[in-house]
Amino acid sequence: MMRLSGRFRSSLIIGLQGIRARKLRTLLSMISLFLGVLAVVTVQAGASIAERALMSDVELQSGYDGTVVIDVMPHEKSPSIVSETVAGRNDAVSLIGTSAIIGEPGVSPINPGGAPFDQGAWGSTEICDNVGNCVPGPPTGEAIEVVLTAVAGDLLTFRPLRPVSGDWLAFDTVPSLAPKIVINEEAAKGFRDHQVPAEMRVRGAKANMTPQIVGVVHDGDYQPRAYVRQDELTNWMPTSSLIDPNFGGQITVMTSSGSPVEQVLQSRLRGAGAESYVNVVQNRKEMEKQLMLMRLIFLSMAGLVLLIGVAGILNVGLATVGERVEEFALRRAVGTPRTLLAGIVLAETMLTGLLTAAAAIGAGIAGLKIVSMVLGGSEPLLANVQFPWDAGVAGILAGIIAGVLGGFIPALRAAGIPIATVMRA
Amino acid sequence: MNQPLIELTGITKILKGQEEPRTILDGVGLTVHAGESVAIVGRSGSGKSTLLSILGLFDRPDSGSYLLDGQEISRLPERKAAKLRSSHYGFVFQRFFLLKHLTAAQNVAMALVNGQGWLPRRQRRVRVMEALDLVGIAHLAKNRPTKMSGGEQQRVAIARALVRDPRVLLADEPTGALDTETGAAVIDALSAATHRGCGLILVTHDRDHAARMGRTLSLANGVLTETGRVHA
Repeated sequence: MMRLSGRFRSSLIIGLQGIRARKLRTLLSMISLFLGVLAVVTVQAGASIAERALMSDVELQSGYDGTVVIDVMPHEKSPSIVSETVAGRNDAVSLIGTSAIIGEPGVSPINPGGAPFDQGAWGSTEICDNVGNCVPGPPTGEAIEVVLTAVAGDLLTFRPLRPVSGDWLAFDTVPSLAPKIVINEEAAKGFRDHQVPAEMRVRGAKANMTPQIVGVVHDGDYQPRAYVRQDELTNWMPTSSLIDPNFGGQITVMTSSGSPVEQVLQSRLRGAGAESYVNVVQNRKEMEKQLMLMRLIFLSMAGLVLLIGVAGILNVGLATVGERVEEFALRRAVGTPRTLLAGIVLAETMLTGLLTAAAAIGAGIAGLKIVSMVLGGSEPLLANVQFPWDAGVAGILAGIIAGVLGGFIPALRAAGIPIATVMRA
Repeated sequence: MNQPLIELTGITKILKGQEEPRTILDGVGLTVHAGESVAIVGRSGSGKSTLLSILGLFDRPDSGSYLLDGQEISRLPERKAAKLRSSHYGFVFQRFFLLKHLTAAQNVAMALVNGQGWLPRRQRRVRVMEALDLVGIAHLAKNRPTKMSGGEQQRVAIARALVRDPRVLLADEPTGALDTETGAAVIDALSAATHRGCGLILVTHDRDHAARMGRTLSLANGVLTETGRVHA
């Protein structure tokens, strides 16, 4: 152990002396390697940032990895069962989706069916009865249709909705008769571009409500959507009316893995004859393959650039060993083992690789800061973006690997220098 | 008499180059005791340096026996030979072989930072300064070779050879690049090592320097013969 440690220290000391003695050569080696390591750092950083961005976009809609999602099929009893099961629990949240028209009463909305505002109408303005007899609906007026999600529980624990302005729904207050709603960015467009009065029509409600918009969030949805406390909505309608099996609707429960909610809810739904489907969010696993392929392609390209740097180190290393034949022969004469001579050369090239890696990582951090400052305003994902630690690790590994590859042949050559012929010369 | 420090018997070395094989050493025998100094003289190409290479474990003989303190070492694997070179041998060459980018002290310390054991920096510094002091140039410890005279550089090389307190000191034409006066001073420094029990083998062309050794041996046609002995 002592001997290994001594050899390691000896190779570091001599390697550092060698680097100090040949600063210009070291600098030239670093320059040739810099671009290669920078390419690896950039690819890794770019892939990590892209992966994070992609993940965060996917998580916006599907939830964090590991979240158990229970989709409940529309059934007359399912809203009540879901509400009773989730009530008072902090490890589950229920989302009951219906539609609402906000605006002028007695008119058809600008975007029937809750269509995005730049995509025209999805639904019809006709009014149909239960047997399918339809008559033309009222004329279009200043009203917008949104997907209304009645929330019971802390949704932000399961989905990272990004606040744009205002606040998120507060659940620790008495339910208001004027339901507070949080709208997404697409719905906000409707309010921005149209003079929409604050009156909300929801199918099954006893009367129209006056909503209070408390915030805007980015939820990744391209449809206009509003989130409302379920208990504030049910001030105006029975829970069972939240879903009308004839018109569809959506009930989703999100819970953490291992929570009893999943088992209790499924049993109760089965008992009532309602169907449900369970799946666990595995965004990373699903995205891994496509991300890995993308990363491999870019890393291969970066590897080629790195190879040029390795060739530079190899070239300089061979020239340096050629110049230092006497030194290595002398070191062997004073008892330095061949392995240590190889170690000295490798230590020099690896230290050069590490110095280059440090420079490339520094450049990467600085570059990212500049990109973040310049483009952060227009591209939210780049605002305050942190340099990914795995890009730093990749840079250090690239530096070490380049040092080892570039120094390997010079190290072998140094170890093979014969003492006798050199000392006799 | 005590066991010899070095005992060569029937050492043969044949050079196998592009031309016909040439016998450089032909059954050479040599015995050196601790504290003894031996000069080896001979014409250029007579095989003096080859003999020194074998003595210093840089090279192996084709046949014959090489005992160090009674132990056969002519066929040692390189790893063990390196260890022995570090612990038992000191080398001085005609061309000093000092590294220009290192100070005198760092050049001497090179023999201590060689992967054969580890000395903490403080102990290393003490050993280096002692060695430089032995050859009278401790005050030049921080100087680089380029700022030193030939004699001073050779003294640094001798200090490097002595820093590990070797049993055998091998010197190959150490005065070849020096003037007479400086050469004599270098021989003094080398001879002083024998007073501490070190065996000295000096390869030289200079008859005067050879005459200052305990024995003088001449190498000709691959055969080593004794040509002079100083009796105490």
